[in-house]
Formats: sequence, structure tokens, C-alpha cells
Amino acid sequence: MTLTTCLLLASALFSVGVYGLLTRQQLVAVLVSVELMANAANIVLVAFSHFTASPLGQVFTLFALAITVAEVAVGLALALLLYRTHASSRLDAAKEMNG
Amino acid sequence: MRSPLSEAPLAALVAVLAPALAALLLAVLPMVRRRGAPAAWICLASSVASLVSAGLLLAGQLGEAEPMAWTTSWLTLDGQGLGELGVNVDGISASMLVVVTIVALCVQVFSVSYMHDEPPDAYGRYFTYHALFLFSMNLLVLAPDLLQLFAGWELVGVTSYLLIGFYYRKPSAGRAALKAFWITKLADMGFILALAVLFTSTSAFRFDAELSTPLANVVAGLLFFAVVGKSAQFPLHIWLPDAMEGPTPVSALLHAATMVAAGVFLVVRADPIFAHAPDTREVMLVVGSLTALFAAGLATVQTDIKKVLAYSTCSQLGYMVAALGAGSTLGGYFHLTTHAFFKALLFLSAGSVIHAVHSNELADMGGLRKRMPLTATAFIVGSLALAGIPGTAGFFSKDLVLAALEGRMGWLPYVALMTTAFLTAFYMGRVVLVAFFGEARGKADHAHESGALMLGPLAVLAVLSLGVGYFGAHFAEVTATGEYHLHFGMTPAIASGLALGGFALAYAVFGGGRDASGVGVLALLDGAARSALVDRTYEALYRHGMLNAAAAIGWFDRYVMDGLVNLSGWLTLVAARSLRRLQSGFAPDYVFAVVLGALALAAWGYLS
Repeated sequence: MTLTTCLLLASALFSVGVYGLLTRQQLVAVLVSVELMANAANIVLVAFSHFTASPLGQVFTLFALAITVAEVAVGLALALLLYRTHASSRLDAAKEMNG
Repeated sequence: MRSPLSEAPLAALVAVLAPALAALLLAVLPMVRRRGAPAAWICLASSVASLVSAGLLLAGQLGEAEPMAWTTSWLTLDGQGLGELGVNVDGISASMLVVVTIVALCVQVFSVSYMHDEPPDAYGRYFTYHALFLFSMNLLVLAPDLLQLFAGWELVGVTSYLLIGFYYRKPSAGRAALKAFWITKLADMGFILALAVLFTSTSAFRFDAELSTPLANVVAGLLFFAVVGKSAQFPLHIWLPDAMEGPTPVSALLHAATMVAAGVFLVVRADPIFAHAPDTREVMLVVGSLTALFAAGLATVQTDIKKVLAYSTCSQLGYMVAALGAGSTLGGYFHLTTHAFFKALLFLSAGSVIHAVHSNELADMGGLRKRMPLTATAFIVGSLALAGIPGTAGFFSKDLVLAALEGRMGWLPYVALMTTAFLTAFYMGRVVLVAFFGEARGKADHAHESGALMLGPLAVLAVLSLGVGYFGAHFAEVTATGEYHLHFGMTPAIASGLALGGFALAYAVFGGGRDASGVGVLALLDGAARSALVDRTYEALYRHGMLNAAAAIGWFDRYVMDGLVNLSGWLTLVAARSLRRLQSGFAPDYVFAVVLGALALAAWGYLS
């Protein structure tokens, strides 16, 4: 396993995340996509940490994971509120701001 | 130039600040003002302080004292002040200060009795205005540069407005006050422009600015426009006769002796600028002569005693302006001084008569010589001085003016002013004969002599009207405005002869107290006066010129300017209507934009 494979994996994961973000209508699916993108970044950090023998990247990833948990909590709360107000957790239900 | 606060500037500061303090006190203490009499005492006390200070200053200038100034820079920026504030004591300001304070005190003492029938609050208000006026006038007279002079100039304009409109419940008084204010404000535009031109070219407002001839002509011409308004010269003289709506003592102080003379004073003060402006001086000569003759003609047919005196004031101011235009600063300034005394005397005597008869109309007077002998004497003394009968003050100053005009512009101004001298004697003779001689008519039957408070100021002014003329040499020396010498030539002889002729003609027409207005030439003049030629011209100009121009400008504003504004609003709306489609409100669209942006940035970074 080389650094390149790791980076390719991370890129693939990130791209899947972006695709999901752009195409999904379900807020929960969108959140999952965002998580994919975040974890792609984490993989990059860990990979560099491993191949350069520096613990810094791993430490940073731990922080990022903690922050991601908080982010998911907020995201899920938003999903819940969206469902309560619009009786649906689909994004196209919330279009009041259109021009 | 900052000198230590020595005696002379201290006296000058007292002269300015005492009336200011009085006006301020009366303005902020309504309980004192509304009680009337205390307000009068405060005002009189401040005027006495001013007069004493002025006397000290003039005595100093007549003696060994050097001209001195105590000034401070105003609005200092980068070490350079915008102008000077303070007091400037020299022969010119000290002599003017004495004239102003003497006349002001006389008028105020006179007013104590004249205004006695007013309710206390109006009485207090009257004296508050008087204190404010004296402060403004002294500020103007002692100004170290044109900027402060302008401040005083505007302040006397305001007090003039307030005092003309003193009887504000009378619609005509309100209108007259507004008219005076508007016309003088129009003229003051010239002053402001002159200040702007002066400052841009010299970075200061000095009276003795060194200017090239074309520039001096511009500045002096603009200043002269302000003078035309303030000193009631043709064609902006129309406010002065209407200003007679104010109380008579006010007419004596503001609209005869001091405020209207401020215009002439300005020219005397800024003499170095005017000296480099020969073209402006020629205009002044023409305007002054024309005003003198024109106003004297109208004065001969007025039926209101105050209007006669008002037109006479216009006419005499024309004398001064003509003298200044001919380059005789001394003549103009000396005539200002003597005129201040005898015209104040005439107005106050007229006030005494009006107080007794309760009417301004000459037709209501007659035979008053027997009932009011002292007032009649005072009025006759004033008339003789105004007509320039040898021995009176008016003779000496008129002589200087006329001598300065000899041979100028093909003798035309000279002839005009000689004719004016004749007319002056004629209309004064008419007033004296109709009001004081002959049979008592109408209300004049119950007239009685005024009290000591009114006669005292008359006596002081009468003495001055007779005596001041003999001090011409001292006057010339202290003001350093020119060489004084009597002219024992044809000019004084012709002038005196014409004055006597004017009286004789008046006696022939009005002798025995007949009011013969409407005879011969007088009928023509009467018609001219009634048609109010100049007023009508302005009205027509306003109605046909101003209003049509305003309508055209209004159309332009409504359809072109507003159209542009509306067009820009409409364009914004149309543009917004198409652009708002960008805001879909659908979250993935925004994410798409973010991703696109990120990709674009990445591409840009990769390519460059």
C-alpha cells in the first residue's frame, strides 16, 4: 500500500460525497455525503502521517472526528426540525427563499 | 499681529461686549425683559458704557495713540487662520464708533419716552433689539477684516428685520420687514462672492489686500453690489421707504444714521481695494448721482413725513456713494458723519411730532410751530443742515462732495447733485412749511410739546448738526482719508444759492401752510411716485420673468430630472427581475455553485 493508493481512495470517497451532496434530496443522505467528504479528508491526514512518520496528522484526525460528531448532531437536529415544519425531510420541500 | 491687552483694545472690547451682554441678558431672562422698564435701563447702561469707551478710543486716536488691533485667528488650520476676529482701533473705526454710539444713545433715550405706551413685554423686546443692534454695529465698525465685518453686516440686517417688523401684528409691517430682509440678502450675495474671490486670491480677508486692477474691479464690484442693497441705492432702494413701518426712533437709528450708512462705511474701510478699481468707482459715481437725484425727486411729493425723510436718506446716501466713486473718501465719510447727526435729528423731531399728532400724514399737521416750539426748532435746524445752508454741518460735507465731482464725466454727476441740493431744500422747505406753519389741521389741534426725555436727545443732536462741520480738518487728520480744505470757489456759492432758491420756491408754493401737492411739475412727480415705478418693474420682472422661468425649470425638473431618476429605478427593477432567478432557494443548487467555484479555483491554481 502506497501513499498514492491512499490518496486515490480518499479522492474517490470525496467525489462520491460531492455527487451525493449534489443529487440527493433527502437531508439525511446529504448529511451522509458530507460525512464521506469529511472522512476523505481524514484519510488524507492519516495517510500522510503514516508515510512521513509524523504523529501530527493522526492527532489532528482525532480532533476532526470529534468536531464531525458535533456537526452530525447539529445536522440531525436540522433534519428533525425540517421534518416537523414541512412534514418531510426532503430538501426540495424547503424552497421558500427562491427568487 | 497680537498685541498685549492694553487700554485701547480693552475699551474697544467693552464697546462691543457691553451691548452684547445686555442683549444676552435680556434674551435669556424673560422675566426682566417682560417687565419693560428694567430692560430699558440695562440697554441704556450698556450704551453708555459703549459711548464712554468709544469716546476714550477717539480721544486716544486724536492724541498720540497708534492704531492698534487685538485679534485672534479664527478656525486655524495648518497654522493659518481663516480670518481674524477681534477689534481694530484706528481713526476710521474710532470716529464711526463715536457717531454710532452717540446716535444710538440719543435714540434710546428718546425711545424711553416715545415707546412708553407700549405694553411692558413689547417695551422690553424693543430694547433687547436695540442692545443687539448696537452690538452688531460695533462688531461691524471695529472689525479687523472683511469676514468679521460681514458677520456684523448680517447681524445688523437681522436686527433691522426685527425692528421694522416690531409691530408684527400689522400685516404691512411684516411685509416691509420681509421685503427689507430679502432685498438686502439678495445684495449680500455680492458680499459673499467678494469674500470668496478675495480668499481664493489672497488667502485672507484683509481690507488692504494688494490686488491687480481686474481682480480689484471684481472684488470691489461685488462689494458694491452689497452696498447698493444695504445703503438703499437705485435700483435696490425700494426697501427703505417701506422700512418706515418700524417705530420712528428705529428709522432714525437704523434706517437713517447708522445701519444704511454701513455700506458707505464698508467702502471707506476697504478703500485700498476700491482705489485699485477705477471701473467700479465710475459705476459708483453714476449710481450714486442717479440715486441722489431720483430719490430727491420722489421725496418732494410724499405725503407721509417719514417717507419724505426716507427718500431723503436714499438721496443723501447717493451723495456719499457718488463722492466715494469720485475718489473722495474723505468727502463720502464726512458726509456720512454729518448726515448721521442731522438725519437722526430730523427723524427724532418727526417722531416727536408723530407722538403728539398720532399721524404720519403731513395733511394732519400744520401750525405746530406754536404748539411744539422746541421740536419745530430742532426740525428746522435739521432741515437747514440737510439743505446745506452755510454754517451748518451739511454745508461743509456737501461742499467736499461737490468739489470732488467738479469736471467728472462731463460735469453730469455735478449737475445732478447740484439739482439734488436744490430739490433737497425744496422738499424740506415743504415739510417745514406744511407741518409747522399755517393753520392747525385735524389732529394737530390737540398737539402738545413732548417731554424732556424726548427733547434732550433733540438738543444734543441739534448742537452736533450745527457744530460738527467745523471739525472737518480734525476729522480728515484722525481718519487719514484725505486732505481737508474749504473751497471758497464757485461750488459752495452755487450750492448755497440753490439751497436758498429751493427754500424760496418752497415758500412760494407752500407759504402760509398750503399743501399744494399736485400743482404743475409736482403733479407729474406725484404720478411717478404713486405708480411706484421701480416696485412695479420688479413686480413685472417677478411675474413675467421669474415665474415663467420657474415654470420652465419646474417642467425640466419634473420631466427630465425626475424622468432620469425614474428611469434608473425602472432599470434596476428590470435587471433585478431577471437576476432573481439565480436564487432558487434549493440548497443543492448553492452547493453546486460552491463546488463549481472550488473547481474553478483549483483549475486556475493548476494552470497558473
